[in-house]
Amino acid sequence: MSARGGRIALGAAVVLAAATLPFVAGPFWMGLVTQMIVFGLLALSVDLLLGHAGLFSICHGSFFAVAAYTTAILQVRHGAPTVLAAPAGLLAGTLLGLVFGLAVRTRGVYFILITIAFGYVVWGVAHRWSSFTGGDNGVTNVPFPAVAGVRVESHTEYYYLALVVAALCALGYRVLIRSPFGLALRGIRGSESRMRTLGFDSNRHLYAAFVLSAALASLAGVLYVYYNRFVNPVAASFPVSVEAALMAIVGGSGTIVGPFIGSAIILGLRNWVSSFFELYAAIMGIVFIAAVLWVPEGLVGLAARLRGRAARA
Amino acid sequence: MTVAVEVAEVVKEFGGLRAVDGVSLRVAAGERRVLIGPNGAGKTTLFHCITGTLPPTAGRIAFFGQDITRLPEHRRTALGMGRTFQISNVIAELTCLENVMLAAVGIDGRKWVLHRPMAVFADVRERARAGLELVGLVHRADETARRLSYGERRQLELALALTSQPRVVFLDEPCAGLSPSERLRISTLIGGLPRDLTVVMIEHDMDVALGLADRVTVLHQGRVILEGSPDEVQSNSEVREVYFGHG
Repeated sequence: MSARGGRIALGAAVVLAAATLPFVAGPFWMGLVTQMIVFGLLALSVDLLLGHAGLFSICHGSFFAVAAYTTAILQVRHGAPTVLAAPAGLLAGTLLGLVFGLAVRTRGVYFILITIAFGYVVWGVAHRWSSFTGGDNGVTNVPFPAVAGVRVESHTEYYYLALVVAALCALGYRVLIRSPFGLALRGIRGSESRMRTLGFDSNRHLYAAFVLSAALASLAGVLYVYYNRFVNPVAASFPVSVEAALMAIVGGSGTIVGPFIGSAIILGLRNWVSSFFELYAAIMGIVFIAAVLWVPEGLVGLAARLRGRAARA
Repeated sequence: MTVAVEVAEVVKEFGGLRAVDGVSLRVAAGERRVLIGPNGAGKTTLFHCITGTLPPTAGRIAFFGQDITRLPEHRRTALGMGRTFQISNVIAELTCLENVMLAAVGIDGRKWVLHRPMAVFADVRERARAGLELVGLVHRADETARRLSYGERRQLELALALTSQPRVVFLDEPCAGLSPSERLRISTLIGGLPRDLTVVMIEHDMDVALGLADRVTVLHQGRVILEGSPDEVQSNSEVREVYFGHG
């Protein structure tokens, strides 16, 4: 079979498996898989910066959480319909991205530190401004989304919704990273000084990438809150932002499926380990270290390397 | 005579060191100007100031009559500056063709296109291939720049500078470290560039420098010590002293 034929067959198998999954798996597993899709989307948003532009952002939990809170507050407290609450969440997270995007004036470790600080600001607000955010309890009783009389009635239906949204995002993302803009991001990562002498205003390109990435993280936040049915400050916490990057790295940074695979591995592992071991966070730390030391290209990259070795042998 | 590049009393200090110490020079449109001088003369630093990589401490720089002293680097490129670096500065993880395609859209609004793949812009691809063809690298178009030899990287560097359609191109030792045959190839290529393209070049190899230059500027310890035709420079005793040593 040709490589192209192989890929089409693999793609068809994945689509078929995804479509029939609810008929085999119970509600618990469907919930977990939906979570994997949602956090995979968050990891994908982080990876636009990490895997293409070469910026390590640790504040994407902020966009995710601000979008989730906005949608939840509008829907629960103000009775806003989904058709208003969901876009408003997306908009709020993206607007925050326009502000936090100023971080692209810095590079390297300063960029990382600034984004960590931004993340803590949002977490602090979510945590302490209880009258607005609900404090530690957050906002609860978020209903399933309903648009124009069509209502999502179950976790299975929500799974299909998340799957379609994620697939559309992945397709859009694919176009983006192959566009002149996407190529320029990789150029900036490779040699910013060279790109400037070719006429690129690198800060503006990185800023645009940052805002797009924040928008995608916000979309993940909106998907999250309708799945989770509540949001609390944990969504804005440091571990969420770090884990999103970890997912991208473990799965394969710079690819599209990588962040989703990473999300499945991390969430699957956490689910499994935490059922018998309280210190699952320590296990996550070890996974992170092992991935960076031995498989820095992630599982997708590792698979490509092994295939290359097999082809040569 | 149109003045392409005018540098007036430019100073660049690093801490207490004056790397460029009040340099003035004018390069006419279409001229081939070569800067020579011993190591540490300030040639590359002067290049950095002209192309905007470094801001000058003092002085003024004009490009076709327009003051560009405070203009950011990418805007200078848009006005028509192209440059190569002394140490090859190519994007190692991209292919040669991708490198040059970026050069082709760098001063073009299409660098902001994000909803269509680069591949649909056939003219960009054509220009990029033409750039690679010019430097003799078209057979390596789909090779990752990381895998190029040292000499091939120098060629790619030149293709990047020329594909952004500059009016003036600044070449920082394009032949440094090349074998004699590669050196000949590059210097022939530079000699054959269209005459309406102004070339300012730093070159250590006196044969290459004097063979290509219309005029030569000699820098020493951050200052211009002589400017003249290749013959004048070659016969000047002060130049012989600082550049070739005594004897």
